[in-house]
Amino acid sequence: MRLGEPARMQAAINITPLVDVVLVLLIIFMVMAPQMRKGPDVNLPNTTKPNSQGDERGRILVSIDEAGGLWINDQPVAAEHFDETLRAAVGAETNPKIVIRGDAKLNFREVREVMVAIEQEGFRGVGLIAKRAGAEGK
Amino acid sequence: MQFDHNDSGSSLQSEINITPLVDVVLVLLIIFMVVVPLLIEGYDVDIPRASADTSAPVAESQLILSISSAACPILTPPAGEGIPKNCQVTLADQKIPVAELPARVAAILGGRPAEQRALFLAVDDRLNYEAVLRIIDLAKSRVEDLKIEFVAAN
Repeated sequence: MRLGEPARMQAAINITPLVDVVLVLLIIFMVMAPQMRKGPDVNLPNTTKPNSQGDERGRILVSIDEAGGLWINDQPVAAEHFDETLRAAVGAETNPKIVIRGDAKLNFREVREVMVAIEQEGFRGVGLIAKRAGAEGK
Repeated sequence: MQFDHNDSGSSLQSEINITPLVDVVLVLLIIFMVVVPLLIEGYDVDIPRASADTSAPVAESQLILSISSAACPILTPPAGEGIPKNCQVTLADQKIPVAELPARVAAILGGRPAEQRALFLAVDDRLNYEAVLRIIDLAKSRVEDLKIEFVAAN
């Protein structure tokens, strides 16, 4: 910007307010995005070196909350309906990736029972989701 | 910012035009901010096969790590990082403190070809889940591509 020049006819649209508004919207969405993730709030276990499990979209998220309640993706599921709900969530996918988000306060039995239930549906291999120690987020 | 449209006689412009730079940086920022919260991390494990457990031949090379709640009494989430020192685990029938686990696992499995690097875990049901994951983390820490498989605890 040059100050002190005689005013000229300005043909260009002033895009600065537009950019401001767009940036603010962007920030709002970015702040909201973590809350839009699937599933309940789970206090994930802290570990040192978890391996990457990729993007949570495209995975089937089985969550076990602090009280031992089961969730598939973002729906709470009663234990007796777990099998058919999991099958419905998998649908026609041939090679589904199932990950378990278990709460840190659980004991191993509750997680093992869910793993066994998943195995009985014929899915071998799950990912146990952890949080890198020191990382931010839930 | 004002865009100079000099139809006649362009004036010398000494500033670098940073607008495209800012555009690219902002787009990169947006991409990372959107993608990073959706990335998840964890451990790949195999599930105990509820059926046909007894008929499976037990290979001699199977390395079994058992964690009992008597030798490793972690029933609530361990505070801070790592595993409490009073935890002892049994690796290939030898009782060792958990701190020695990475070195022992690496010594036994490190020389094997990748497809035979498997650790079988027999975990007591009462143990805390976070502690179990931390022990898995320790066991994997010095061996690449270590496969973890749960077996039924005795």
